[in-house]
Amino acid sequence: MSHPSDDELVDLALGEPTGDVSAHVAQCAACSSAVTDLRRTVRLVSNPGPYAGWQAPDDAVWTRVAAQLDTAEDAIPEAPDASGTAPAAPSAPVVRLDRPGRRRTAAWAAALVAASLVVGLLTGRAIWGTTEGGQVAQVALATLDTRRTEGEATLVRAASGLDLQVSTDTALDAGDGYLEVWLINADGKRMVSVGVLRPGEPGSFPVTQALIDQGYVVVDISKEQFDDKPAHSGDSLLRGQLPA
Amino acid sequence: MPWLGVLVHVHDDPDVESAELAARLSGGDREALAEMYRRWSPLVHTIALRALGTREDAEDVVQQVFVAAWRGRATLRPDRGSPAAWLVGITKHRVADVRAERYRAHRNLQAVASEVATAPDAAGDSDWAERLLLVHELERMGDPRATVLRMAFIEDRTHEDIARALDLPLGTVKSHVRRGLMALRDRLKEVERVSPE
Repeated sequence: MSHPSDDELVDLALGEPTGDVSAHVAQCAACSSAVTDLRRTVRLVSNPGPYAGWQAPDDAVWTRVAAQLDTAEDAIPEAPDASGTAPAAPSAPVVRLDRPGRRRTAAWAAALVAASLVVGLLTGRAIWGTTEGGQVAQVALATLDTRRTEGEATLVRAASGLDLQVSTDTALDAGDGYLEVWLINADGKRMVSVGVLRPGEPGSFPVTQALIDQGYVVVDISKEQFDDKPAHSGDSLLRGQLPA
Repeated sequence: MPWLGVLVHVHDDPDVESAELAARLSGGDREALAEMYRRWSPLVHTIALRALGTREDAEDVVQQVFVAAWRGRATLRPDRGSPAAWLVGITKHRVADVRAERYRAHRNLQAVASEVATAPDAAGDSDWAERLLLVHELERMGDPRATVLRMAFIEDRTHEDIARALDLPLGTVKSHVRRGLMALRDRLKEVERVSPE
């Protein structure tokens, strides 16, 4: 007998009387395996367990995902190789970023970020040390989806310490909420709020060198609601990673 | 037979949308990842929560799954299966990683006597991912097929009984049961196809 049809195998799996179909399946490995799969499906669909509705993760989880991708993939070319010689490093981001499917502008922007980051990695803390007062690091802030640059963040060394200055090209729409500025850690897991930004106005926020040294280098502007939740809403408007 | 599948899917909106989403993701569209997160993070999170028990671990798994989905987008085949099943496949591996980690940590800290209680469970609840994926698939499946399948498998009613209750010909009920079961079987296959990184 030739192989039974799918319908016949389903009927067999459901325990309907099938006559010579079961005789065939008993000695055919492929059909026997198909029936086993169908029976397993029946078993699993029949017993969904104590299912009591879907539970969404906290909104901040998406922010962590986006931050991790921004820092790990699009900005950091490769893990810096301690034993490697410095001049070899800059070639790494070109290879990584020049892959099919990326929009050209995004790749170009990412390459810029990556290039500046490589400079930062190569020269290390020297960049920070040599600048006395004034600008120590700057990054364009772009939308997460289209990567359009709509603002910038600058780390400035002031008399009292470090200031993070944030400005946007146009006033961001806070809806019926407000805008909050965050520093997200490059590990994508931790973040701190640095203050509230008024739509259409530049903001300046005191930060510490220790914070930057610990990896809180992703500047993020989010839209927050007037609720009782101090955590990030997950609704990020602009973001950019400070070099080094 | 493959032809038939294509024809059916053209009229099945959720599947067409899913395939478009999968194609956009594998093409490197970050917004597609955001959309997949909106649709399926509750599925991923619920599975992880059931399997691991703590919200913190479950949310870590959700983060890892969607980061892995982005990095592994080249392995998603838009023409072969649903993004939901693919994500569930990734989730299973991540959950297994967390359990293995817990087991190691526990073994290092605790006496042998208590090991047995927390050893990774080989059978039993390891089917959480599949069970919940099927719940999800039934929810998005159109009627009357979804109702027919629920009555047949969850309420354990006979085909004749279902035909009477829904006022459908018996042949139509049988056909929905067969097609529906095969579709669900295919989803489970897709979960199995996802390999650990």
